[in-house]
Amino acid sequence: MAEWRQYYQNEDDEVEEDEEDSGGDYKISGRDSLVFLVDASKEMFIKSEDGETSNFDMTMQCVRSVYTSKIISSDKDLVALVFYGTEQSKNPRNSFKHVYVYHDLDSPGSQRVLDIDKLLGEKGAQFAEKTIGSGETSLGEALWCCSNLYSDIKLRLSHKRLMIFTCRDDPHGGDGAKDRQARTKAADLKETGVVIDLMHLTKPGGFDVSLFFCDIVSPPEDESELGLQIEPCRKLEDLQKRVRAKELKKRSQSRLTFSLGEGVNLAVGVYVLARTATKPSAVKLHRDTNEPVRTKTRYFHAHNGGILLPNDMKRAQVYGKKQIVMEKDEVDEIKKFDDPGLVLMGFKPMDRLKLHHHIRPALFIYPEEEQISGSSCVFTALLLKCSEKNVFALCRYIPRRNTPPRFVALVPQREELDQSQTQATPPGFNVIFLPFADDIRTLDAHVGPTASDEQVDKMKEIVHKLRFKYKSDSFENPVLQQHYRNLEALALNMLEPEPIEDLTTESGGGAAEKKPKAEISEEELKNHVANSTLGKLTVPVLKDACKQFGIRTTGTKKQELIDALTMQLSK
Amino acid sequence: MSSSSALVLCMDVGFSMSNSEPGQEPPFEQAKKVIQKFVQRQVFAENKDEVGLVLFGTDGTKNRLAKDGQYENITVHRHLMMPDFELLEEIESELQPGGQQADWLDALVVCMDLLQQETMGKKFERLNIVLLTDLNVQTSADQLDVIINSLKKAGITLQFFLPFPLDGEDRADGGGDGPGPSAASARPGKGLSSQQTQGLEMVKNIMTSLEEEDGLEEVHTFRDALEKLSIFKRIDRRPMAWPCQLTIGSSLTIRIVGYKAVTEEKVKKSWTIVDAQSHQRDDVKRETVYCLNDDDETEVQKDDTIQGFRYGSDIVPFSKVDEDQMKYKSDGKCFSVLGFTKQELIRRHQFMGSQVVKVFAARDDEHAAVALSALIRALDSLKMAAIVRYAYDRRSNPQVGAAFPCIKEKYECLLYVQLPFMEDLRQFTFPMLENNKKFTPSESQLSAADALIDSMMLVEKDEDGESVDVFKVNHIPNPQFQRLFQCLHHRGVNPDDPLPPVEPWLKRALERPQAVSARCQAPLQDVKTKFPLKVVVKKKEQKTSADVFGSSADEPDAKRVKVDEEMEFNLAEIAAGNITSVGSVNPVRDFCALVRQKTVSFDQACQQLTHRIEQLLGNRSPEYYMKSIACIQAFRDQSVSSGNAELFNSYMQSLKRSVPDRNLQEFWDLLIQDALTLISKDEVDGSTISKQDANQFLAFEQKEEVQAAPVQEDTGDVDDLLDMM
Repeated sequence: MAEWRQYYQNEDDEVEEDEEDSGGDYKISGRDSLVFLVDASKEMFIKSEDGETSNFDMTMQCVRSVYTSKIISSDKDLVALVFYGTEQSKNPRNSFKHVYVYHDLDSPGSQRVLDIDKLLGEKGAQFAEKTIGSGETSLGEALWCCSNLYSDIKLRLSHKRLMIFTCRDDPHGGDGAKDRQARTKAADLKETGVVIDLMHLTKPGGFDVSLFFCDIVSPPEDESELGLQIEPCRKLEDLQKRVRAKELKKRSQSRLTFSLGEGVNLAVGVYVLARTATKPSAVKLHRDTNEPVRTKTRYFHAHNGGILLPNDMKRAQVYGKKQIVMEKDEVDEIKKFDDPGLVLMGFKPMDRLKLHHHIRPALFIYPEEEQISGSSCVFTALLLKCSEKNVFALCRYIPRRNTPPRFVALVPQREELDQSQTQATPPGFNVIFLPFADDIRTLDAHVGPTASDEQVDKMKEIVHKLRFKYKSDSFENPVLQQHYRNLEALALNMLEPEPIEDLTTESGGGAAEKKPKAEISEEELKNHVANSTLGKLTVPVLKDACKQFGIRTTGTKKQELIDALTMQLSK
Repeated sequence: MSSSSALVLCMDVGFSMSNSEPGQEPPFEQAKKVIQKFVQRQVFAENKDEVGLVLFGTDGTKNRLAKDGQYENITVHRHLMMPDFELLEEIESELQPGGQQADWLDALVVCMDLLQQETMGKKFERLNIVLLTDLNVQTSADQLDVIINSLKKAGITLQFFLPFPLDGEDRADGGGDGPGPSAASARPGKGLSSQQTQGLEMVKNIMTSLEEEDGLEEVHTFRDALEKLSIFKRIDRRPMAWPCQLTIGSSLTIRIVGYKAVTEEKVKKSWTIVDAQSHQRDDVKRETVYCLNDDDETEVQKDDTIQGFRYGSDIVPFSKVDEDQMKYKSDGKCFSVLGFTKQELIRRHQFMGSQVVKVFAARDDEHAAVALSALIRALDSLKMAAIVRYAYDRRSNPQVGAAFPCIKEKYECLLYVQLPFMEDLRQFTFPMLENNKKFTPSESQLSAADALIDSMMLVEKDEDGESVDVFKVNHIPNPQFQRLFQCLHHRGVNPDDPLPPVEPWLKRALERPQAVSARCQAPLQDVKTKFPLKVVVKKKEQKTSADVFGSSADEPDAKRVKVDEEMEFNLAEIAAGNITSVGSVNPVRDFCALVRQKTVSFDQACQQLTHRIEQLLGNRSPEYYMKSIACIQAFRDQSVSSGNAELFNSYMQSLKRSVPDRNLQEFWDLLIQDALTLISKDEVDGSTISKQDANQFLAFEQKEEVQAAPVQEDTGDVDDLLDMM
């Protein structure tokens, strides 16, 4: 069914015919789910003295960005939004007081994004006050309610995660009974495979995880895992990064044996860290009912009309006026050279890896201790030594059965952390595909006059003027963005889609050239912020101002721009 | 426009060609193989080259020039035309040693005449004559100058293939990357007859006067040629120029031309589906129908369908017309610089796309050449690259990519590679490896790894201290193509034979070089002893289908069905009245009821059930697999209890055969997990299946590949244009 296939296309999109994944170990394993359990107490709505947005607002922005990214990247995942410590109660059987299920576990759609929008900003706080309010807190009840959400789901869930957003380290104010109940419920949840994370937010006087929450959250996956974030999130960006890191379940495309030589085998997982995202394919709908239709493809005999079964057909190619016929099995057999796996050929200095030897996006490998124990140790030793000696490993790579081999370079990559101690690059080998002789074309190079030193110096000036710091995630795909804006407009009955900002055009940003083009000074902006008169400015001016301060906004609604600017400038 | 060549193969079949020392292959056989391999390559390369075949030393005479006893024993076997399998078959069966000898210079003249007559009015880029002879015949050298002059005038090139090398040194070693042992058996100089020695001088004379010193490069030994020809021609596509303008801001514009320099080459031809009996393509018709997702699979006309897209949980109807109107509009072809950045900020492993484009200044545009050269040199000295917006044309999606400077001895260019968009990246976090107590390698383990790396370096120092790469991947032909052509050729010539094994040279080319293998033995052993590696024995973590999908309320649980059979069916009968056919809502219940009621024959009940199973599987959706599994379980149970194994077994066998084509691998895996295999003799007497066969039945699995890559609407690029021409 299109639905199912599309899901996996997003997961591991098989753009190339032979890039389809093999693993199978998760193909049938079900859907991911994520519950946001958000504290709705008064404390969450307090704006800190330095004028930043409230913790609640920050959380909602974060939830919204997860919703929209799920819609695009993994629309089959289930997401729920639950508030605790509310005045009002709303849950399936209304058996829990002070728990408000704002969104049941379901795949996010356009309506949900609109629902979140209602909770954003100053107006959102008022709306929240009116609909959910702040009241008594019982985390135990809230967790119980969440566990019901999970058990009400008929689908098989593969990955269950619950994230608690709060700025109160002692939610029950020393009520031991409530604390106990919360611990029991948390333990119950963890037993059913739910991973509980704490996204703790700033609190005057500091958030003390050890006071209560250390017993609630799941222990880190193993001792090596980065463990509890001791620092609470201050900025939306940090929060989003932290949520995103947890929210995406990493999955290997396949697990393979990596053979160093006779009898020395380790196991590795193969991961796709970058793959061209494409527009999802269209679904065919019945004109009258908008109901999805599916296609059936049949082969039949041209003369007698009988249905042809697979063994009634063979494969053929014509060469030199002759048709050559083979069985389907033989066509597969031709592609078979060896069993799937990585086989080490040897090592080469890094400078032998040519920049222009590129034919496919790279993969990433990481040891699989569960398949062959001891893999991580050999892997780490190789990783350290390869990077120390500045060499890469050359391997023969067969990703799955009946697939011809390719040679790949395993380039060592050691772990790097960013300032906030989050992993910037993971430890492992990048798998770079190398071209065969057939993949390299012979060109007649154009030979012309070359530039003089003076001309080169002139050009250096130009280069200098237009220099900027490239970051791989700074360009959005305008085609995809436009597509989703269009869908959004149609889904939400908007008159016209919101305009996208095309970062790939010269006027779209990216280049430093545009930076000085501020139409409004920082001073003026600060005044506007102080007087809450940003609303008087036009959207393009606000956008330019955002760009000027390097603020990436989740949308282009005026209010969002104003909020973003306010947050940035009132620091 | 045409880049094809016309070529005459001119082979000596005279009696001396059949002479050989004991244990050695006669030159005739070797020459025949060279011709076969050559023609084979031409057939599969499918270019427009035309090939003719002239034999000399034949018993008969057949050529235009034969007159008055001149040019005798020379036969034009095939006139210039595109080589085909017919020619291959002719060579195989009709090319026999002759009993005469003929002057190879005469044969050369016949070939020249053939080329000139038959290429008249056609345009060929290259005219070539290939002579295969042992030179063992008396030649009259008096016409030599005339021949050389007319060869020059007609622009005809010559190649010689001889059983022995031209001079003392064996040229076979010069081949460089050609895998396989070098030919040592061809003895130079010694044992040549006086005719041969004289012939050699003439060959040298002709070749040097035609091409000066390079001429001798075109004299090969049979053995050398065989080795080189056994590698099928690489897929060679003519680079297509992509003229555009490089812009930096609005002020600077440079006329450029881009060429695809590196890209993953695919086999040009795909397999067509033909009828198994008639081998006719037209006998197979393919039909795609649209149907609703209801019980009856109501068919819907294509015209009654519209297009929609998913937006999260919503499906938004979005017609093609609207989509086209609202979609992102690109301004068309462009190569505009968005800014410049340090090369180190662009990570090699984040290269996207499937190609590298080399960008040169437009030909004969001096201004462009100087400007581009200045840019390339500036970037090179600053270690920077340009970040560029690239769009192939108006129809294609824009990309963001990097243009790196590339300065070679002979030319300068930019290398363009696509970079990711934000949407393309997945930020996964992995547990740390270093400083992790469990995995930290000890000092001795590290030194074992160190020694292994040292012993396995693929770059070696030669006598002059130059480092030499002993395993150049970019010199290895793609084994997929080599194997495909080998099999196609084999099947084309021997339609009833099984496929041949992979050729040894190809196998060797994919293995670790022998020297490296030998060198790393000891360090590898050391690694083996120092690092304990153990395959983890899985504690039967196989999931049954019920585990996989959970047992939801509206789908019957396979296990439960079995236990509750009695009660459920009785209830069902009461509730539903008499069941007359297997419906789609609860096929298992209906089927079991039918079998019990015996209102229809067992055969018919089974037939109805299998129809439903097929329908369910047709959805190819895991949600329906569960139901199908329950059906198969019931089918099996009822078959066993009624002692009729045949229907079930034959259905399962046909189902298995269809797994690859219907992409039912996942489903089959579930059958494996539930151990739903054939009914064996042990269970039903009438079964023809042994217990062992039944057990093995499921174990065999064949992975199916996705039939075709999803069509992307805008992969438009250099080659598409080429394909459209």
